[in-house]
Amino acid sequence: MPRAGRDERAWVRGAQAGSASDLEALFRNQWPRAYRAAYLVVHDSAAAEDIAQEAFLAAVRALDSFDRRRPFGPWLHRIVVNRAIDWSRARSLRREVGDDALADAPARRVPPRRQLSEGITGALAELTPEHRAVIVLRYLLEYTPGEIARMLELPRGTVNSRLRRGLDVLRGQLAEEEL
Amino acid sequence: MTEAELRERLREEPVPGEQEADQRAWEVVRSSYAARERVSWIERHSRLVLVVAAAAVLGVAAVTPPGQAVVERVRESVAGRTPSEPALLRLPSGGRLLVNSSQGSWVVRQDGSKRRLGSYEGASWSPHGLFVVATRGRRVAALEPDGDVRWTVTRPNRVAQARWAPGGFRVAYREGSTLRIVIGNGEGDHLLASSVSPVAPAWRPGAVKNVLAYVDRARSVHVVDVDTRQELWSAGTGPAARKLLWSDDGRRLIAVTDRAIRIYGPRGRRISGGPTVPQGHLLVGAAVLPKGWFVYADFNERTEETTLVRGTCIASDPCLAIGPTRMFSGAGRVENLVVSADERWLLVGWPAADQLLFLRLPGTRGARRVFAVSNVAREFDPGGTGVRAFPHAAGWVEDATS
Repeated sequence: MPRAGRDERAWVRGAQAGSASDLEALFRNQWPRAYRAAYLVVHDSAAAEDIAQEAFLAAVRALDSFDRRRPFGPWLHRIVVNRAIDWSRARSLRREVGDDALADAPARRVPPRRQLSEGITGALAELTPEHRAVIVLRYLLEYTPGEIARMLELPRGTVNSRLRRGLDVLRGQLAEEEL
Repeated sequence: MTEAELRERLREEPVPGEQEADQRAWEVVRSSYAARERVSWIERHSRLVLVVAAAAVLGVAAVTPPGQAVVERVRESVAGRTPSEPALLRLPSGGRLLVNSSQGSWVVRQDGSKRRLGSYEGASWSPHGLFVVATRGRRVAALEPDGDVRWTVTRPNRVAQARWAPGGFRVAYREGSTLRIVIGNGEGDHLLASSVSPVAPAWRPGAVKNVLAYVDRARSVHVVDVDTRQELWSAGTGPAARKLLWSDDGRRLIAVTDRAIRIYGPRGRRISGGPTVPQGHLLVGAAVLPKGWFVYADFNERTEETTLVRGTCIASDPCLAIGPTRMFSGAGRVENLVVSADERWLLVGWPAADQLLFLRLPGTRGARRVFAVSNVAREFDPGGTGVRAFPHAAGWVEDATS
C-alpha cells in the first residue's frame, strides 16, 4: 500500500478517535487539491473556498460513520467536483433569469470569465463546467475514466467523449495563447 | 500540448486565493470538529431536550385543526395539551409588532389591538419605533405609527426593502437593481450602488456613522459608509447571501446563504462559528439575539421538519463557550424569526399551522416557555375570502412612550 494511503487511513482513524492534529494532517494533505479542483471548475475563488470547505465540513459530520477501509480522497473529490458542477449550473441559471430583470442596471459587473488570468485557467473557461470537471478529475486528480464515470454517475463513453472534446478545446486555446 | 504538460500546468499554475483560503477554511473546519464533540453531548441528551420542546409545541398547537395535521407525528409520542390562543389577542411582552400582510401593513400593540397603516407591500420600523417606512409600487413613504404620511419619494421603477438607519437620519431602499439613500426628512434622494441583489440592506447598529451592508449581483457583500461613500470592506460569500444581519454591537456581520452562515469581523475578516447545514437542508430563517448569540432555522427537506438552533456565541468580547443549542423542533417549515423588544421572546412564523409561535429565549425567566397564536392569516386578512397569504412580522419595538 502506498505510504500516502496508509497515512490517510491513520489520519482518518485518529480524527475519528478525537485527534485534532490528525484531522489537520488530513486537511493539509487534501485541501490544496480540493480547492484547486473546485476553482478550476467554478472559476470563482470565493465559491471554490466554500465548496472545498463544505466538503470538509461534510467529512467532519460523516466522520463517525466513515468506512476506514475506503480511501478518503476520492470520497472528498466526488463531493467537491459534483458541488462545483451544481454551483456552476446554478450560476448560469441565475444569470439567465437575472439579466432580464436587470435591463435597467447601469453598471453591470464584468463577467467573471474575463477576470480570469491567462493560461490554463483561461483556456478552461472555454469549456462547460461538465467538461471542465472531467478534465480536472482526469489530469489534476488522476482518476481513470472508469472512476470518473462512477464519481459523476455518467456512462463511460460520455466521460471519454468529454475528455476528447475538452482536450481539443484546450489545445486550441493554448496554441492561440502561444502564438 | 501533451497530456503530461496539461497535468503539470493544472497542478502548478497559480490559482487566486489558494493560500488565504487554506487558513480560513482550516479555522472553520477545526471549529466544526470541536463543535461536533460538543454537539455530541447534546445529541446524547437530545431526547430530553426534544421531549420538552415537543411537549410544549404539541400542547399549544394540537387543539387547532391546522396544528393537528402538522404535529401529528409529534403527538404520537408525547402527551399533554394546552390550548393555544385562538387569535392574536395579546403579545406575550410589551412593545409594538409591525406585520406585513396581503392586506397591507399593521401595527399590533401588546393588548392585541391592531391598526392598519395602509395598503403597503412592505414596511419596517424606524429606530425606537417613532416612524414606519413603507413601500408600495414606485413609492417610498414615511409614516407615523398611526398611518399618517410624513413624506413620500416616488421613483420611476418599483421600490422595496426600505430600511431606516439606526441614527434616524438616513433611509436605504432598493429601486429595481439599484440601492438608494434618502435623508430621514425625505430630501436628498440619491443613488448609492448599482447592480445590487434583492436582499434587504442592513444598517450597522450604532448612531455615529451611517454604515450599510448590501449584497451585489456578483454575490459579494459590501459594507459602505453611505455619507462618504467609502467602501469599508467587501467579501465574497460563495453561495448567494439571502439575508444580512448585524450583531447587536455592530462588530459582526452575518450573511445567511441557503445552507451556510458566514460571519465577518472588522474589515471583512471571516470569523469561525458560522454553521453549515447538511445537504438536503435549508436555512429558512435567522435572527440576532442579545449578547453575541444568533439563532437559525434549519429545515430538513426530507423529513420536512425545522429545528431552531441557537448558534455559538460570536461576540467580539469573551463569551460563554457553549456549543449550538436546539431551541425547538417541529414539523413543517417555519420562517420569519423576530426578537421581541424586551429581548425575552423569539417570534416564529409557522405557516403550515397558521400559527405564530412565541418562544422564550434561553436565559430568560418566566412560567410560560411557549405561547402560540392560531388563525393568523385570517387575523390580518379580515373579510378576505380567497387563499390567504401568511403574514410576515417586520419588527418588534418598544412602546413609544416607554
